[in-house]
Formats: sequence, structure tokens, C-alpha cells
Amino acid sequence: MPAELHDEHHDPFEERFADALRDTGTTFATDQQELAAGGQARGRRLRARRRAAVAGGVAAVALIGVGGALVLPGVQGDGGRQRSVAGGRSSGQEDSAASGSAGSGASGVSGDELLRTFEKLLPEGKLSDTTGRGTADNPFVQGVYDDGRGKAAIALSLGLVQPGSQEAAQTTECPDRVYIAYDSCTGTKLSDGSALMILKGYEYPNKRSGTKLWRAELVTPTGAHVSAQEWNAAAEKDSPVTRAEPPLSAEQLKKLVAAPEWRAAAGAIPVDPRMTAAPSATTAHHGSIPATLARLIPNGVKVVSRSRSDDYEFGYVVVDDGRGKSLVQINVQPDMRDVEGELFGAGTRTLPDGTKVVRRKQGGEKGIAGIVMWTVDTIRPDGRRVVISAFNSGAQNTPATRQAPALTMKQLEAIATDQKWLKIG
Amino acid sequence: MLETSGKRGRMGQGRGDGHDGYPEFAAARAGHLFRSACLLTGGDTHLAEDLVQETLGRVYVRWGRISRVGNPAGYAQTVLTRTFLAHRRRHSSSRERATEVLPEVPGPDAGGDAPLRLTLLDALGRLSAKDRAVVVLRYWEDRSIEETAAAMNTSSAAVRTRCVRALARLRLLLGDALGEYARP
Repeated sequence: MPAELHDEHHDPFEERFADALRDTGTTFATDQQELAAGGQARGRRLRARRRAAVAGGVAAVALIGVGGALVLPGVQGDGGRQRSVAGGRSSGQEDSAASGSAGSGASGVSGDELLRTFEKLLPEGKLSDTTGRGTADNPFVQGVYDDGRGKAAIALSLGLVQPGSQEAAQTTECPDRVYIAYDSCTGTKLSDGSALMILKGYEYPNKRSGTKLWRAELVTPTGAHVSAQEWNAAAEKDSPVTRAEPPLSAEQLKKLVAAPEWRAAAGAIPVDPRMTAAPSATTAHHGSIPATLARLIPNGVKVVSRSRSDDYEFGYVVVDDGRGKSLVQINVQPDMRDVEGELFGAGTRTLPDGTKVVRRKQGGEKGIAGIVMWTVDTIRPDGRRVVISAFNSGAQNTPATRQAPALTMKQLEAIATDQKWLKIG
Repeated sequence: MLETSGKRGRMGQGRGDGHDGYPEFAAARAGHLFRSACLLTGGDTHLAEDLVQETLGRVYVRWGRISRVGNPAGYAQTVLTRTFLAHRRRHSSSRERATEVLPEVPGPDAGGDAPLRLTLLDALGRLSAKDRAVVVLRYWEDRSIEETAAAMNTSSAAVRTRCVRALARLRLLLGDALGEYARP
């Protein structure tokens, strides 16, 4: 299955964003020679330290740990204009090269073995255009499945998550409708303690139209993560819809991901040592961003919903003052002094405690979606930045529902400068 | 923080010690890696320089193997992404961050659409580090979901989720600004 064919502007925002990102990226200039020389000097020191460590009998792996697994992307973008059209770049040949170089252990499961399992577990039909990558390096299988009622792309990947971690929970939690439009989502616990989510959504989740993408995410109590995706087209993107719905029902998807074969294969995935590290000490505090925000919403304005605590520095609430919903989101970032000058320029006020405040109103009559965003950006003397934005809509994927956000600039500023944020993160 | 390496160690070094071709590679790729790093850091050019030097240093150490396997440019990009994420992990808890650096203001030769550039960098800066890495790999490096997952040591499903969420936030933060954006 061609992973991504030439784009045909299915999502204009995605295209515009990619263009703007590339144009922004190319504005950065530096002395390349100096940078290269600095890199080489650092490499020499790194090598010297490594040799010294080996001589001293200490494992030197940690010094180069970040660059551990060798990954070979087929096409190296140059920040230039070419949108990749190399649909076939995930060829089996390349994948096996990548797997080989990552140094798979003897007990690893090959891409071909995973493909055979995949084919065996699928309901009766024909599987073609397959690709498989073994457990040594981000295992996955994909192909085009035809049950006689239309070709459909289908894929399954295996991974490990830390049991009980935020990531494990997030993987099987139905996504927030504030971000993603979908038809249905169910989260269940299986009898063995595994968490399962089945999401019936779309390839382009900002709108409920176009190619359908149905997903099943299963995380076992020991941290094996099995993820299956199926489309109602022969390729993920830019391929005509071949059938009304993806081929496997929710029940069949569940059966596919819950098969014990996958858990066995996941057991052969090399464990990333970082995964076994204790969660960061700060994690425990992050959960309170949406809760704190909800507490700071003024009386008379009702909090309709709020984000789950799934982001370290971000949260939101949806409020209603009786005249329609309004999304309010907040970022709490630990030390942003290095970009202070850029963020707090003209129009900045300094409060008696040294906090700098700037207000911005964006969007309005020229906006394509009629969305207005009011922002109060603040930075404490220690660099802690609290930036709050309110919108005249209750979700990012619905048009404006009211003239202005439900909170005034003054109210937003009172929230952003509240002392409670000093205890977060 | 920043290395003040000066001009020493330029072209010509590294010959005959298993580093053939490394200086040329580093000189040719440093600019692109720097631009990637600037997007990853949301416009913090000093941190970007530091990350690129660290990346090139790591590539140097493993150059013999990397140059034999092929595609050192892709390898370096992966190392950069992981170096960035490791840096964020370390510094989000210790809060140790450079304070002596001066903010970057685009000069008159920055080109492009300066207000949009700032809006875009600010929007990137409001994403989590991992979401930003996904966005940069997908839309600046043109990597597929699978390739992005491999570079980030995560599953394709996790990348897909991050990508969708990041785009949704960016759409909200940038919608109007990009609505008027026409390629120069």
C-alpha cells in the first residue's frame, strides 16, 4: 500500500501549514562552517571520553545512547519544495535493511512472520501489497485487504508502553471531540485487564467526511500495545473510496488486536531502557492544569467540560455564560526567559511583582472560520509563562458560535496571573 | 552551553582515522540541521546551535558505521530529534535553562512573512516537545508516519494521534493567519 501518495489538497490547512513551516524554516541562517567545526570538536571529545570510559571498565553506551538505533528513512527531505511522491519507499527491502542494522536479537520476530500471523488472523479474504517490519525496529504490518466487497488498506503495529503510565492510559482513551471529529468511540476493559479502544473516525479528523479510518488500540496490563487501522480505500490518502465502510467490524477488529499471537510478538521487542525509568517527579503535578483552570473560571460562567490531564504544559476548559460555548485554553511553561524578548514586545505592561503582561486579539472579520482568539500572555520574573486564550467557539472544529469569547480580557488576565499557577509543574 | 570552538577542526581533519568524508558531510548538512533544530525549539537559535553540535558530535563518533550503511543525512536528522527530546526531558524537570542568551529578532534579511513567522514559531512553542517533533518530521522533513515513529522510538499509532492533536491545535492557533497566507 502506498503510504502517502502525492497530496491533492484534501486538507487545505495541512498544506498551507506545511508551506508556511518550510518558508519559516528557511529563514534561519547560521555560520555552517563554524557549526560543523563545533560538532566535530564535540565528537572528538565524546570519543575521548568514551575511550576513557571503556578503559576504566565503565559501559560507554550511555554516551551515545541517543543515537542508538540506526534508522534509514527512504527519502531525506531537504526542507525544500519536494513533497515526497515516493509512495513505495516503505519497501520490504528497505525495511529489512533497517531492521538488520538495528541489531535484532536472536529471539526477534521477522516482518515476514508477523505478516503470516496477520494474514492468518484476518477474516477470509485476499491480502496483497504487503509490507512487514520485524520486532527489532518498530514492528508493523500493512497491506491491501479485499473481502470481495472492495479493496481496503489495513495495518497493524506493535509497541511497548510503560504499564500504568500516562501514555498507556492515553492510548486507549477516546480522544476529545474538541480536537477530533469522529462517529463513535468505545473504551472497554477486557477480562484479562487489557484496555481496548475502538474508534470509528476519518483519515482527516477535522471533518466528518472523506476516507474513513477505523482504529483499535489495545494495551495489555504488561504494556504490550497492539494497534490496528483500516480504511475504506486502498490507500490511506488520496485514493478513491472503494466501499461505504472499512471491511472489519468493531467485533472483528477487537478479535484481531486481542489475539495472543501479538502479545507474544510484542514480548520480543527490545525494551527501551528509558521506559523502565521511574516517571518524572513532576508528572504528578501536571494533572492539575485543567482542574486549576476550572477553579479559576469566574462565578456565573459554567464549566461545561475540560481536558483530561494528558499534557504536561497544557489544558483547556469549555465554558458557557448562557450565551453559547467558549473554549479557553492555557499553557503553563516552566522557563521561557530565552524567548521573553520576542513574546513581550510592544504593549507589554509590568505588574508590581515583576510579571510582564501582554494582551492580543487575533482573528475576526477576515478570518475564514470567523473564529476570534483573545490572548493574555504573562511571564513571571523566574521565566514561568502562563498564556491563556479564549475563543468564540466551543471547539476547534466548529464554526464561531458567538460574537466574542465568554471571558473578558480582564478576566483572562486575572486567571493568568493567579498565584495557583506557581504550584503547577 | 554553547561551544566556542572557533574555526579549528575544519575541512581536512579526520582523514585516515575512519572519518573520511565526515567534514564534508558536516559542512553540507549543518545548515539544514540548524533550520530543523530552530523549528524544533520554536525559534531558540542558541539552543538549536547547541543541539546541532551535539548531533554532529554523535554522528562523528559513529561515522565509520554510518557512512558504510548509507543515508547519513537521515541518520543525523534522527539523532537531532532524539537529542532534542532528551534535552527536553532533562530540562523540563530541572528547569535549568540558559538565561544569558538574547532573544532572536528576525533581521531585515529574514525574508518571508515576518509576522506570520513569529505567529508560527509561537504556535509551535505552545505544542509539547513530542508534538513539535512529530510536526517537524512530518511537515518539514516530509517523513511518513512510519518513518516518524521510527525516528521517535514510538508507535505509528502514537504518532498519528500526536499529529492529529498537534494539527488541531495549530489550526486553532494559526487558522486566520494561514487563511491569508499565500506562498511568496
